[in-house]
Amino acid sequence: MIFNSLTFLVFITLFFPLYFGTKGRLRIWGSLLASYLFYGWWDWRFLSLILFSTIMDWWFGMWISYLDNPADVRAQSARGSRTLQFFSAITSKISSLGWNRKSVLVLSMVMNLGFLGVFKYFNFFAENFANLIRALGLTPSWTTLHIILPVGISFYTFQSMSYTIDVYRKQLNWEPSLLKFATFIALFPQLVAGPIVRASDFLHQMQTDKKFEWQRFNSGLGRVLWGFFKKVAVADSLAPFVDQCFNAPETFGSLHLLFGVTFYAFQIYCDFSGYSDIAIGLARIMGYDFPENFRTPYFSRSFSEFWQRWHISLSTWLRDYLYIPLGGNRQGKWATYRNNMLTMLIGGLWHGANWAFVFWGFLHGFYLILQRAVAPVWRKGCNLFSIPTVISSSVEMGLVFTLTLLAWVFFRSGSIGLAGGDSFSVAGAILKGIGSLEGLQFSAIVNKFQAIKGILLIGLLLLVEISNQKFRWNTLQVKFPALRIIMFATLLWLIAFLGSFGSNAFIYFQF
Amino acid sequence: MNHLRWYAALVVLFFAGDHLGGLALQHTADQSLFRYGRQYAGQASADVLLIGNSRGLALYQPYIEQITGLKTFNMSYNGLPADAATALALDYLDRYPNLQKIIIDVTLCDRENDALLAGFLTYAKHSDRLNHLIKDKIPSSWWGAQVSHLFRFNHEIYQRALYYRNRSDEDWLLDRVISPELAATAGEHNYDLDVSKYLIEQLHTLVDSAKAKGIGVTLLIGPYFPGFQVNNLDALKDDIEKTIGTPVKDYRFALSNPAYFGDFMHPNKSGSMAFIDFLKRDGVFD
Repeated sequence: MIFNSLTFLVFITLFFPLYFGTKGRLRIWGSLLASYLFYGWWDWRFLSLILFSTIMDWWFGMWISYLDNPADVRAQSARGSRTLQFFSAITSKISSLGWNRKSVLVLSMVMNLGFLGVFKYFNFFAENFANLIRALGLTPSWTTLHIILPVGISFYTFQSMSYTIDVYRKQLNWEPSLLKFATFIALFPQLVAGPIVRASDFLHQMQTDKKFEWQRFNSGLGRVLWGFFKKVAVADSLAPFVDQCFNAPETFGSLHLLFGVTFYAFQIYCDFSGYSDIAIGLARIMGYDFPENFRTPYFSRSFSEFWQRWHISLSTWLRDYLYIPLGGNRQGKWATYRNNMLTMLIGGLWHGANWAFVFWGFLHGFYLILQRAVAPVWRKGCNLFSIPTVISSSVEMGLVFTLTLLAWVFFRSGSIGLAGGDSFSVAGAILKGIGSLEGLQFSAIVNKFQAIKGILLIGLLLLVEISNQKFRWNTLQVKFPALRIIMFATLLWLIAFLGSFGSNAFIYFQF
Repeated sequence: MNHLRWYAALVVLFFAGDHLGGLALQHTADQSLFRYGRQYAGQASADVLLIGNSRGLALYQPYIEQITGLKTFNMSYNGLPADAATALALDYLDRYPNLQKIIIDVTLCDRENDALLAGFLTYAKHSDRLNHLIKDKIPSSWWGAQVSHLFRFNHEIYQRALYYRNRSDEDWLLDRVISPELAATAGEHNYDLDVSKYLIEQLHTLVDSAKAKGIGVTLLIGPYFPGFQVNNLDALKDDIEKTIGTPVKDYRFALSNPAYFGDFMHPNKSGSMAFIDFLKRDGVFD
């Protein structure tokens, strides 16, 4: 089920009265079952995967805690449900075999990454290994498998992994209630495309029953409407132009392709941040606070700033569970460069099994390294020549945006679902076309109407985002009801007049 | 309770604004010089009606008028399918009884295009045929238009109406020449026509209605880039001739000069003029 569908409208209309009409365990059960319905609507068979992953990580959390403090786990189990007692008994028996906390954590990582590896990367690695064998003059004797990628697997795997790691690090107490833990993993607003909500940010929010609050409803609904505008009016309106460019890049001139790449940058931003806005808004209405996932990333003046503003829940996840454990920036220049590059390469691979994604990660890793090396010189130069901040900031912003565009060319080429080599040839054709500097006049753009509509929509988006820095529209609308109805009505009119209603799936579903 | 009142006000504001906005947009669409606006405003009287998809735009009406002295009206549109074309053309026949001839590029029986059809919601208020066609084929869009007036104008067709509000749309034609690099690869490219029996039946209805009113009908296949392969074109021609009983004039090879094309499927302005000269010599406008 996707947010921009009639089915979801019916779902949510039924869900909220049931949610606020119930209390305690019944409400949590309702939320869990509704979330499974939401997910199972796509393919019910993969519910078993989420269920298995949930039980596994919940149990690993308990096991690690048991190894640390058996008395506490026994005491909580004695007061808890039969399920808890059952797993506690297993934990007690299996722990006597000589396991330690670290080995349980490693087992947990192997299991989680194993699932991800099989469902997301098996064919990728099998194909690449087969190519290597062929390059050595041998004939591989295996074939690839027909594996369907379960929607949202990367999101919920990272979410549940963070729980086990946090319990291991003693930054979080284990959660005795499997029901609550399962609801945390599966809660439908964030299940398939984030934000990646961490257990430490969320589980404590489930301790009390949330009451319906108008303030939260108004604020949440504002966020949902803004998210829908970004998705159906901006992202989906830009999509046909972008698709045209990437499907047949050799048939278009420089300006057309440049528009296509720029439109893609805004398409993916509005698509993904629109989803996050809807997720955050729905959770807010339910009484929960999800972490922010985007903060106007295209206004970044450096790549480190970009990654503090783009897909924040993933970049902070990678920072906390990969970059810092690798040593972060504490072990000298070259180690920092290595850690930057490794983190971004894995971040690229997280998006999908394609070398184009890995190359996208490589480019961002390279940008971060380059920035570390060049930024001090640039700053010195700016001071030396007394360059006004407004100019230096604009240059920085322009440079970061341009290099981000370059990386998006590879990312989008990888998203088409082509094999690695084909993705690179599409990206190469796009860059060659832009570099040819042929067809630079506006009349050379094939579909001018889509181009003009795209420019106007991006202009409107930027206008709102820039003015939002000063006015904080969503906070203002909560305070002033008259402003609220004008803003909501305007968004609804814009969605009706400009929205694309083909039930286009969100781009990040495939990751 | 206070909050509920505000939300009730939101509903009222939305529908009131939507209705007023819809009226304003309808007015701009009706006043536009865009072809369908002119058609439904009664300002599209012609001797020859030209119909096709984007390839039908090659029937460049100013040049036809110049060399034949006949008044023309071209209702072609990018990706126009025969069902929408039939509804539009039958509306035209009702409103303009002096029409003498219809020329149709039959490749508009290629494939159904419901996404484009939804765009004709802009003119559905003027046409029961369009209204029923959209209701039958894409009920979700039709219902959307019943809920929101603004939604009826949520399409490129309305944007074109806005663009051509004060300017002529008669020059809507490719003015570029295919690049030599792309032209050299013509043999490596092909296009699969998706022959639609439903669309052929729709075209049949139009041809029969026109003939019943004593209007001459010419069915033709316009030119493609030399060496570019179009699969199923012969099947399309055969199916149409068998179903409708009218011969299809085949001009797919009429232009051999690569400079006459903007891409593999579309003649450019000079190509269109050369093609029209060809048609004149062949007696299509007689």
